[in-house]
Amino acid sequence: MRWRGTLLYIGQRLLLIVFTVLAVSSIVFIGIHRLPGSVFVSERLRASQMQALLHQYGLDRPLWEQYRDFLLGLLHGDLGISYVNQGVRISPLVGREALVSAEVGALALLFTIGLGMLLGVLAAIRQNTWLDYLFTSTAVVGYSMPNFVVATFLLLVFAVFLQRATGGMLYYQIGWTGTFGSLGEISIPAFALGFPYASVVARLTRASMLEVIRQDYIRTARAKGLPEQLVIVRHALRNALIPVITILGPLVIGILTGSVVIENIFGIPGLGKEFVQSILNRDYNIVVGVFTMYAALVGIANLLVDLLYPLVDPRIRY
Amino acid sequence: MSPPLLEVRDLRIRFFTEDGEVRAVEGVSFDLQEGEILGIVGESGCGKSMTALSIMGLVPEPGRVTGGEIRFKGRDLLSMAPDEVRDIRGKDIAMIFQDPLSSLNPVLKTGFQVAEPMLAHQRADKRRALARAVDLLRQVRVPAAEQRARDYPFQLSGGMRQRAMIAMGLANAPSMLIADEPTTALDVTVQAQILDLLRTLNRETRTAIVLITHNLAVVAGLCSRVIVMYAGQIVEEGSVFDLFERPQHPYTWLLLRSVPRLDRTRPERLRSIEGLPPDLIAPPPGCRFHPRCPFRIEPCFTEPPPLQEVGPGQRAACWVTMRRAHEEMGAATLLDVRPGAGSGVHGPIREPHRG
Repeated sequence: MRWRGTLLYIGQRLLLIVFTVLAVSSIVFIGIHRLPGSVFVSERLRASQMQALLHQYGLDRPLWEQYRDFLLGLLHGDLGISYVNQGVRISPLVGREALVSAEVGALALLFTIGLGMLLGVLAAIRQNTWLDYLFTSTAVVGYSMPNFVVATFLLLVFAVFLQRATGGMLYYQIGWTGTFGSLGEISIPAFALGFPYASVVARLTRASMLEVIRQDYIRTARAKGLPEQLVIVRHALRNALIPVITILGPLVIGILTGSVVIENIFGIPGLGKEFVQSILNRDYNIVVGVFTMYAALVGIANLLVDLLYPLVDPRIRY
Repeated sequence: MSPPLLEVRDLRIRFFTEDGEVRAVEGVSFDLQEGEILGIVGESGCGKSMTALSIMGLVPEPGRVTGGEIRFKGRDLLSMAPDEVRDIRGKDIAMIFQDPLSSLNPVLKTGFQVAEPMLAHQRADKRRALARAVDLLRQVRVPAAEQRARDYPFQLSGGMRQRAMIAMGLANAPSMLIADEPTTALDVTVQAQILDLLRTLNRETRTAIVLITHNLAVVAGLCSRVIVMYAGQIVEEGSVFDLFERPQHPYTWLLLRSVPRLDRTRPERLRSIEGLPPDLIAPPPGCRFHPRCPFRIEPCFTEPPPLQEVGPGQRAACWVTMRRAHEEMGAATLLDVRPGAGSGVHGPIREPHRG
């Protein structure tokens, strides 16, 4: 039937994701344990105390034994416990942090696609007018600025200038009040994260629209006597979307990795912040856990993007 | 005779390019009667497609209609508001295009695309329009029409796509259908089927058809009247019979001569027309065909010939005409058709001023 091929395809991809995640976590696990020094190196302990601690956490065992235990845990979805914050279980921790990151990432993606496509389409249908020039030059600024510059600039505006201007009534507070951010809290980081990519999407949409509106089938649509808006939305936009979806995969990965920088600037308790913190702490299990989670997110995001193709272009079937 | 369905008068289309103004169509006038099939023939770039697109109000950028009148049922399309023209487009005048694959939207189902003109002009709700689309596909003899309506264009064969295009054109029962090279992208057997279909539809629905083509065989098989265009102007006009039997413009004559014949016992060389069509930014003065014409005489270099009566219902724009070329220049036995070969007038009398 129609859906059997698709389901089979999803199954294959999920299996691939499992293997990728396993490979990534293994490489990171072995790599990080081979680094000189250890978790407790900053605690200035005497040799005997250090030995006792290592023993307590089982870190003095041979590497292959630790790796075997790690793999057994991973198969049960258990990533072990934190060495630095004693007693904290890692799986629920990175799970929650991944949700926080996904929340910001999803809104960033919405900015990227929504804003990018809107500006791209408007620029294309108003080609060579001031609107086109404005949007095109904004896009050039957008993708030539790294996201940390955009983030810092937005902080300056919203957390500093706006606070002064409104006497503290309206401003952006760095950091999170609850476990998950409110819309006000996530929208500015999400914008900073998505803006450079929105520029890329805007440029691509513009170019793709300009190509599509010169196609014969657009002339056919006009020859039918369709109103111009319908010609653009129904006939041009859907076809112009196809190349945009092609770059969605790399784009989602860009947003995921970009979150490492953004979360640290805005103090967001997500996977990206944990990523940096855990490496600084040499909290081995968390480092491995964060990497594992990132690998899974990238895999799933790419799968979702690929599943979008046949929805937009009927010539693609799995 | 009742007033014509379409009257085109002194139509002018220019393209404003960086290299200069391209005079794509200059002073084209013709009529189309109700239920008639009119052929417009000419080489690529002679302005035949642009003439058709201007009737639809779809001349592409940077082109513009710079003068003339296009009267459809007595109303001038060129002076109408864009919304009024849009209302006629796809309802009273429909158009089908050369390459049915690129002319159909790849991401929309065929049935929906056929139904769309009805939706655009509020002729039916979506369910009824889709049902009628299947009927239309059946009418243009698409086999398993219900199944095909659910298919996307890439799943159909070339002939079926063109049938779907025709069904789309007929959706609102227009009084006029413009077919721009409808068979060029199809293979020969399918071409014949499509032409047959157009003929049947014309007979059954009395839809007038303007058939644009460079293929003389297509014209001979389908049209009652023909217009021959060269370099943006009409050079000859007449009934198919007269035009094929007694062409009066040297261009028409050469065009007909260049059709390879299979009924000759001895193989012969392929005949072509010497030279290339002129540059329409700075067209040659006088008759635009004179640089390639074997029968040119002195006035051809300077005076543009008017389109005048050369026989009953036949008009040609030529100072010489083939009657004289045959009588005085031995055109029928002429083997060499290089410019001036028949008349002996080889060079320009006066240096034409350019630019």
